[in-house]
Amino acid sequence: MKLQVNGVMHEVEASPTARLLDVLRGPLGLTGTKEGCGEGECGSCTILLDGLPVNACLVLAGQAEGAEILTVEGLAAGQLAPLQQCFVDDGGAQCGICTPGMLIAAEALLRRNKAPDDAEIREAIAGNICRCTGYQRIVDAIKHAAVVRAGGAS
Amino acid sequence: MSALGESFFRPRDLGEACARVADLVTRGVPHHVIAGGTDLVVESHLRPPSTVAPPATTLVDVSRVPELVEFAVRGDTIRLGGGVTFLTVRRAPALAPLRVLVEAGKDVGAIQIQARGTLAGNVVTASPAGDGVAALMALEAVVGLRSVRGERAVPLRDYYQGYKKTVRAADELVAWLDVRVPAADAFQSWRKVGTRLAQAISKVALAAVVERDGETIRRARFGMASVAPTTSPLAHVERFLEGRAARGLDLAGLDAAVDADVSPIDDVRSTAEYRRHVARALVREVARGLAPK
Repeated sequence: MKLQVNGVMHEVEASPTARLLDVLRGPLGLTGTKEGCGEGECGSCTILLDGLPVNACLVLAGQAEGAEILTVEGLAAGQLAPLQQCFVDDGGAQCGICTPGMLIAAEALLRRNKAPDDAEIREAIAGNICRCTGYQRIVDAIKHAAVVRAGGAS
Repeated sequence: MSALGESFFRPRDLGEACARVADLVTRGVPHHVIAGGTDLVVESHLRPPSTVAPPATTLVDVSRVPELVEFAVRGDTIRLGGGVTFLTVRRAPALAPLRVLVEAGKDVGAIQIQARGTLAGNVVTASPAGDGVAALMALEAVVGLRSVRGERAVPLRDYYQGYKKTVRAADELVAWLDVRVPAADAFQSWRKVGTRLAQAISKVALAAVVERDGETIRRARFGMASVAPTTSPLAHVERFLEGRAARGLDLAGLDAAVDADVSPIDDVRSTAEYRRHVARALVREVARGLAPK
């Protein structure tokens, strides 16, 4: 099977009915994408599939053939992306399990909306559950990242 | 081995999808048609571990069948491909007049589910708590069923025959849903009562589309979820309202009409009594919305 992940085409030995999540974490070794609930509720396995945020636990590998997949590993190019740096600087990550999914959900938002307000951010991450931060610091980090991406002061 | 078997087909178009499903039905091969996977994949992974291996299941993936993911505006009807997702409904400017469906789409899971979940999937799953189905009923949806034998159209309000029982034959796919575009000044409302704002299954949900001539209610269509064995229209409420003045409605009569339309149960999410109370309250809320002070 051929899967395009983070801009690279991979030839991978996997069943088309395996969950994309398992193929990413197993044969492809991309363990940044986390498994939380495994039933599409918690968002920790959020990836972008052709630019849209989806739960990798509900997508079958065969369904992702021919699509562009972006995982958290694809955000950083040499150094942390501004979005990631803002999560670090603003305390948006604590235990870290939800962080990859939060980053991808935030990336999906910021690609469409360059200056989201609090309500828009909260809606964009409504499918991502965090048990540590109380969400406010994540919202702050995403808002901060929007400013940095727009070329404003960090 | 994957929990969903090893056979996976990805038809290029609707004709090939129908032919594949017809062949599997004829040969008696256990199979599922999969689109967003937001029901099927969850169920397959939550199946209790058993000493007996589940029967190998063949999957026919229609998530990229071109005819299914499109929609077309045809005067006062919009044909929505069965594979149109809730996120497409929310974002496509041409679908904005379907306000009740757009609002319902915002309440289907969160964005990750909306990006995968399809209208046809919601219809086929036949959940009593089908939020999208309720909105489609209020929009007078007609279901287009396609198979190698041909195509037929069934009004959505006649599609369900009982709990998880539908008129769809094993070889038929939900190819499209035709919805009626409400008048520009129609009252459209969507209300979902659940445990929390996002990611919750409805305790009760109500979709309403009401058109008026001045003060008189001309046409009223409702879809309600989680108050009966299937997501249902509210036929008694519709008949009660049509032809009446929106102001000064007989609320006891309206409650009685609601009671005639719903048959809620006690379950893990709520009680029959609470659901009946909320069903009445949501319909009264629509009535108030029709005649603002």
